[in-house]
Amino acid sequence: MARVNFKDTRKETRTLAGKPVPVVVTARFARRGRLAVFADGLKSLLSGMRLTFGYLARPSAIVTRQYPENRATLKLPERFRARLRLKFDEHGYQLCTACRLCERACPNASIRILTRPGTLSKNELDRYIWRLDSCVFCNACVQSCPFDALEMTGEFEHAVFDRRLLIFTLNRYAGPPAGVLLKEPDEAKRAAAMEPRDVYGGPVPLNGADLPSVKALAVRPQADPARQGAAPAPGVPA
Amino acid sequence: MTVTVKTLNDIIAPPGAAASALATEEYFINMGPQHPIAHGSLRLVVRLDGETVREVIPVPGYVHRGLEKMAEHLSWRQIIHLTDRMDYLSALMNNWAVARTIEQAAGLATNPRIETIRTLMAELQRLQSHVLWWGVLGMDLGAFTPFLYGFREREVIGEIFEETIGARLTMNYIQPGGLMDDIHPDFVRKTKQVLAYLKPKIDEYDTLLSGNVILQERLRNIGVLPAARAIALGCTGPVLRASGVPYDLRKCEPYGVYAQADFDVPVGAKGDCWDRYCVRIEEMRQSIRIVEQLIDGIPDGPHATVKFGARIKVPEGIHYGQIETARGILGVTIAADGKSDAPYRLRLRSPNFSNLWAVTELARGWRIADIIAIQSTLDLVVPDIDR
Amino acid sequence: MAGAAAPFALFAAAQAAPAWPVKTVAARAAEALPDHPWTAVLYMALAFAGLGALVAVLGMGLIYLERKIAARFQCRLGPMRVGPHGIFQTVADTFKLLFKEDIVPARADKTLHLLAPFLALSSTALMLGVIPYSPILQISDVNIGVLYIAAVSGLGVMGILLGGWSSYNKWSLIGAMRGAAQIISYEVSATLALLVVVMFAGTLSLSGIVASQAEGWWIWRAPVVGGIAFLIYLTASTAEINRTPFDIPEGESELTAGFHTEYSGLRFAFFFLAEFINMFVAAALTATLFLGGWMPFHIGGANAFNAVMDLVPPGVWFLGKTAFVVFVIMWFRWTFPRLRVDQLMRLEWKLLLPIGFANLALGALAVLYDLYFFPGA
Repeated sequence: MARVNFKDTRKETRTLAGKPVPVVVTARFARRGRLAVFADGLKSLLSGMRLTFGYLARPSAIVTRQYPENRATLKLPERFRARLRLKFDEHGYQLCTACRLCERACPNASIRILTRPGTLSKNELDRYIWRLDSCVFCNACVQSCPFDALEMTGEFEHAVFDRRLLIFTLNRYAGPPAGVLLKEPDEAKRAAAMEPRDVYGGPVPLNGADLPSVKALAVRPQADPARQGAAPAPGVPA
Repeated sequence: MTVTVKTLNDIIAPPGAAASALATEEYFINMGPQHPIAHGSLRLVVRLDGETVREVIPVPGYVHRGLEKMAEHLSWRQIIHLTDRMDYLSALMNNWAVARTIEQAAGLATNPRIETIRTLMAELQRLQSHVLWWGVLGMDLGAFTPFLYGFREREVIGEIFEETIGARLTMNYIQPGGLMDDIHPDFVRKTKQVLAYLKPKIDEYDTLLSGNVILQERLRNIGVLPAARAIALGCTGPVLRASGVPYDLRKCEPYGVYAQADFDVPVGAKGDCWDRYCVRIEEMRQSIRIVEQLIDGIPDGPHATVKFGARIKVPEGIHYGQIETARGILGVTIAADGKSDAPYRLRLRSPNFSNLWAVTELARGWRIADIIAIQSTLDLVVPDIDR
Repeated sequence: MAGAAAPFALFAAAQAAPAWPVKTVAARAAEALPDHPWTAVLYMALAFAGLGALVAVLGMGLIYLERKIAARFQCRLGPMRVGPHGIFQTVADTFKLLFKEDIVPARADKTLHLLAPFLALSSTALMLGVIPYSPILQISDVNIGVLYIAAVSGLGVMGILLGGWSSYNKWSLIGAMRGAAQIISYEVSATLALLVVVMFAGTLSLSGIVASQAEGWWIWRAPVVGGIAFLIYLTASTAEINRTPFDIPEGESELTAGFHTEYSGLRFAFFFLAEFINMFVAAALTATLFLGGWMPFHIGGANAFNAVMDLVPPGVWFLGKTAFVVFVIMWFRWTFPRLRVDQLMRLEWKLLLPIGFANLALGALAVLYDLYFFPGA
């Protein structure tokens, strides 16, 4: 028969491999009388019940957040890593130069960059393909980007009914990055250098460039306009 | 070789008592891989005599993903994110263990700011891991409410991580030569708030579970692990310390800025489940102490000394580094060929794998319900066992 | 109270008249319906239908309550989606269980496997028939009510034992064996506690026991003895209905689901329902025996006070007391960890049983020498 007193920890110094280590020895059970143990046991049960009742009686203690209802007020931290996005400048021109550093930094080949020979530059981005279904959100792509052209956003509602819809084309147009485009004063020439790309246009019909483990589809799934994100970039012919 | 196992029944029965006339039979039962106690997918094959446990045979491997093999195909930076997925409750400490080993091998220097933030994050995560352990222990022993209280507190700490790191579980934050990101401007204020919130909560834990006579009876004198056996089995962390060995890397071979912090190493007197329980509760208090001491003095400096894109050159040879995670010592052995950007071989000595085998010795002779208590106080995380 | 001030006159009048004429449903039916062989059949059919409806509604209500209360203990909201504040959640769950596939293990004893949940539920349903819910609502007033309760509640263990035995699963078997050992052990203590009240009331009839508490509930009217008997009965009945801290037969983290591991769909629902109805019955019996059942809070002799108490209808008194005991049992569950098997047995045989015997003996002395409040009233 025994009972423990939590405050009954004792500090001492022990040696381990010749070095002194300050330790705190946890409380052990002390020998006590039967009745005292019984009374203490009963008291401990009652104090536990008092604690839980305290929470029951305090509605302010509720921590549940009603998720779909609180969408309007739900704010994830700005650094939250849920969805990869390409950054665009104020003209709607992408910053990505298709240098493939992110592709190389990605630990599990979730990023695939397709390039094409361009009119304004030798090599330009055709499709920036991001596979959400294999992404581990390790942030290596964002960190490795020397042009600060990528970011992770807190958009976390990823659920779809067809997992092929988890393969995104992140760029809105195939063409050179902002730096190259802005050197070209002629608006018409700029527009001609850009060819629109939609979110699901790329890896779903695959355009001949196969991603590992993704087979070409016979039927192209209907792209959900709500998931297309922003409107096409200005200067891009519709 | 014959092993004589003294069971509870042997202790109860007077010596030399005749065997019962009732013909009984031992039987095997599979605890797991799908079982509430499996905490994932751990299989324990239990040989039982009625309710009495004769033998426990752990069968790990149900969540084996070959992390070590995968690492051979990834660059030094890329292997960090794999370690998040071992002991997911101390992801940051796993990150740190690998990053530190790479740093030591490649001779990368860090600065005090990086080390302080790493230490703070690691202690916050130890706290987070232990509050969850407390809740899960409650649930394992039949009290469901602590489980949710534990998660409630875990969530509060998770919000700090979320703000600075952008992730809650698989954080990939501590990198060779620095950190993924600098701390959020709100980090210090938030952390102080959380500490103020947590301190009374840990006292509540004592009221709700530690003081509870039922819990004490469930843990006291159950599964005694003597210090010599703990060392022989390779147990580390709170399991070893509960057996009375004050071996804590944070104290014995200080890394980070632990040498600057004043804290004690909680040790147990006997090595039973109760000691393992108390050691962890006390560790929560010590972690709070460490964070409190360091939170105000985060030095200035850059958050990374090596650019993220820079190639890390690890010289040829075998390099070893270790860190005290929430569950014990995570040892990282790297074999590098000096040429490629990836490890030739990565070997992880995970604390849970060694701690798991203690269950084979501890549970013998006790009841089925005691396996639960023993396994719960060993605080196993299965992906860390299987890797 | 004749000389009391005017406002008390009403109370005095109320007190003078027999406050609540006691009549069972059976007696009422016998009066209302013509004496014909078919009447009995009709009556039985109606009683069965009524009982079934009561079981279903009670069970679903209690499950909802349990979930809500558990949530609030744990700083959660609980069911919130189906209906306002999730009140139809259990209805939805019931439908889900009804439509689920009924899986019977290949090597199970099919007949017994089928029978077990019905046995478990029927034993509890049988107990509902004799509880006096209010003076005008008691299905049948058996003159040996307490004996009947003790006998029928023992039948429930058959359901658990058969369910575990027939499932052909080791977890189920361990759960069933634990359940049998536990329920049989704790029945002893529960019965000892019952006997204390029976001695004081001098009757085995449940309505008689309620009537005997017109001067005060036995929990306090039998000094100390009543309180101890109440605590023993509460503990023992919590153990008998397999709830935390005594939920060893189904101990989730140990035995997956114990004796009902291999049950699914409707049969699982039956076990589940039985568990909750059991809780209600245990609470109702605790209320009836120790807290006066439907009897309002009376203090012998304080007629004006008693009259004020009588203003609250007896049905409400009964429900309130039962709800309180149900809440306490839930409170236990959401606070305490689970005991181990041997600790459970130690608690029963080494603590509760000796105390129960001593209590019974003390109670006998108290009855013999009229050492309780308002004897002879």
